[in-house]
Amino acid sequence: MQDRRAVVITGVGVVNAAMVGASPALGAWLARPRAAACVPVGGRPAARLPEATLAGLIDPAEARRLSRVCQLTIAGARVAVAESGIDPARGLGLVVGSELGDFTSTIAFADGYLARGASGLSALLFPNTVMNTMAATTAIAVASRELSLTLNVPGVAGELAVARGAAAVAGGRVDAVLAGGVDEIDPLVAEMLGALGDQPMRGEGATFLVLEAEATARARNAAVLGRIDGVAWRSLSARPWGVGRRAASRAIDAARARAGGAAPGWVYGSASADTALSAWESRVLRAALGADLPAASLGGLLGQHGGLGALRVAAAAWTARSGLLPDDDGAPATRVSGPGLVHGLARGGGHVALMVGAA
Amino acid sequence: MEAKEVFDELKTILVARLKFDPRRAAEVAETTPLPKGVEGSIGLDSLDFIELSIAIEETFGVVLDESEELTAHFASFETLARFIVSRRGAA
Amino acid sequence: MRRVVVTGLGAVSPFGAGVKAYWAGLAAGACAIRPLTLFESDGFRCRIAAEVPELTAGSPRRSRADRLALGAALEAIDDAGLADADRAEIALIIGAVGGGMLEAEEWYWARARGEHPAPGAALRAILPGSHAETLGHRLGLGGPRHTVVTACSSGAVALAEAAELIADGVVDVAVAGGVDGMTRLCFMGFNTLKLLDPEPCRPFDKDRRGMSIGEGAGFVVLEAVEGARARGARIYAELAGHGMTTDAFHVTAPEPEGEGMARAMRAALAAAGVTVGAVGYINAHGTATPQNDRIEARAIAQVFGEGRVLVSSTKSMIGHTMAAAGGLEAVATVLTLTQELIPPTATLVTPDPEVTFDCVPRVAREAAVECAISNSFGFGGQNVTLLFRRA
Repeated sequence: MQDRRAVVITGVGVVNAAMVGASPALGAWLARPRAAACVPVGGRPAARLPEATLAGLIDPAEARRLSRVCQLTIAGARVAVAESGIDPARGLGLVVGSELGDFTSTIAFADGYLARGASGLSALLFPNTVMNTMAATTAIAVASRELSLTLNVPGVAGELAVARGAAAVAGGRVDAVLAGGVDEIDPLVAEMLGALGDQPMRGEGATFLVLEAEATARARNAAVLGRIDGVAWRSLSARPWGVGRRAASRAIDAARARAGGAAPGWVYGSASADTALSAWESRVLRAALGADLPAASLGGLLGQHGGLGALRVAAAAWTARSGLLPDDDGAPATRVSGPGLVHGLARGGGHVALMVGAA
Repeated sequence: MEAKEVFDELKTILVARLKFDPRRAAEVAETTPLPKGVEGSIGLDSLDFIELSIAIEETFGVVLDESEELTAHFASFETLARFIVSRRGAA
Repeated sequence: MRRVVVTGLGAVSPFGAGVKAYWAGLAAGACAIRPLTLFESDGFRCRIAAEVPELTAGSPRRSRADRLALGAALEAIDDAGLADADRAEIALIIGAVGGGMLEAEEWYWARARGEHPAPGAALRAILPGSHAETLGHRLGLGGPRHTVVTACSSGAVALAEAAELIADGVVDVAVAGGVDGMTRLCFMGFNTLKLLDPEPCRPFDKDRRGMSIGEGAGFVVLEAVEGARARGARIYAELAGHGMTTDAFHVTAPEPEGEGMARAMRAALAAAGVTVGAVGYINAHGTATPQNDRIEARAIAQVFGEGRVLVSSTKSMIGHTMAAAGGLEAVATVLTLTQELIPPTATLVTPDPEVTFDCVPRVAREAAVECAISNSFGFGGQNVTLLFRRA
């Protein structure tokens, strides 16, 4: 079997209602986490980005042809690429995770037809009705010409995209990958999710990480922000969109095995206002790790969205560097040491585990 | 319909269908070029031109046949307005 | 890295349910592109499509696309002899685009008429990722599970993803495929972009005018070769390599020199350790748009030289099945190796002089080839090539 390569993080880009910027902006927020401001959308509070913030991130001529969720993606991707200093011409892959894609454009496209028939259809909107639109437009914006993947899974889209990107680098498929997640808040979608019993507060935004083979990153003297030492993803048994009962996780064991058997000292988990799901996650973590480790989630502060899972990986790198695990409720940070686990568990059983350590 | 009226309608289409900012649309002159890559143009690409053709059909009733060579007519607002006026006259 | 083989095939196509019906149609050079029946098409230039004639799998409660996927996936698992196997470690990777959009459209259209339909099942199933949720649960598959959405190359990407998981030793067995059901959004959208031919599409023809849209599902079972041999599985072919590149050029138009397409093909050859001379057949993306076919032919010529390799587009028979295309066309490509028969470009009348290949016009051709490739070049420049080698 091919030797697996060490994977490091060399750039981070975060765009959401609480912060915009690279790893220093994320670090400053993690040192004193404050909840993103919420506004009512579709009858529920949501951590929505102010329009002026987004307008400031994209040039108007470019923005004309980019849907809102594509703008969020490109804004986050560009910050990460800039921080890493990587030259995309040397080969850059792209993995984008999203729970909801570009429903805003899909709804507008359908509305055009319902209002005015065939001549009401917009050619400009049509490409946005396919969920790879964020990846397609971002690949053009950052000149990424290697593999390009868009992953649509409930709940753990961001974690999965980073895990998938790390696996591609570790397995020697590509030397560098821009991996992350994005989602936006749309009023009709928020209303529909509410009607379907979706519980966590929704947020929006994009978080992207530049992942590289450690050897190539060191060779170009890149600043290394953290390491991803092992990743795995599996499915726990559950009805679609249901909460399961079994706690035995193969994903956590497999990620730890890839990381040389390391035991994590702390966890970023996907716990949220969805109490049944959070209880299941606690049982899974306890069964795999033997105890209740210090844990953070950030979901209540930033809102559930595809970018959040990727943000947790970037946050884990910060925690591994700083030795501080932020508290979701405003209490002082917990002092921790050693590597940690980023854990995602979704309704339906989607299950992702990443072992993250310091450079 | 005169060329001036057509030009004003095209500016409306710039905003309503091609998503231009109203201030940017108000700034265009008859001589402003349309296609991307031409100096001073408003930068339309192939997808924009498809959207524009749909809008022209809906607004002016002029049906565009893709098999025709139409590039010269889409060079600027002026050439496009004249083209639309002549097609409407012929109809 | 471990070698990956195909041990099961499943298909629901415009020729009907099952691989047998699918291959029979392809071998006969039949065209399944007919007037659209699933929803209204008044006011559109193109009013034909390749619909699946009848849904036989799953209950009527499920979305159309779910039922297509279920039919093909069940057939593939059964074909691989895994019906009673322990599936706790089996991966499931699906390529999808439309998801349950057809049913969601019906909900939304009803809402627009002033009705108050309940959001329930239709909306749960709307996302492309929902097939993996329902199939994964229904089939008891507990390994890695995810959905890739890469436009027209989604099905091919799903197979490549599954192959990587096996090659890297993450799993020993994977179920992978692509699915797309007919939707108003897709049909209206491609009509709006003027990319559809009002008549059945004619790939590589001098007078081609655009695509035809189809629907269906194509699934395979992939395994590490050691495990397949150990359990005495029937091995159809080896998935010997794949290449995945991005044009990063334009959201709808392909890059005119076909550089990304050529790179994908070369990467597949390199991954398989195979020279161009070993490839005897290319199942082209071949959508019949003036642009795609010209650029794809140019890219093929760049990699393989002019002439020699046989090229055909099965989209001439089943249309462009969107996310299902990569899966259905992989099934067809595997069968060309085992059946030693190349499916034709069924609607080809006058070959385009710019296309320097024998595109197997109208009638299937007997030929034994060592390796065959399947190209899927998605909207937004997402290029994937799968390379299959005789077992």
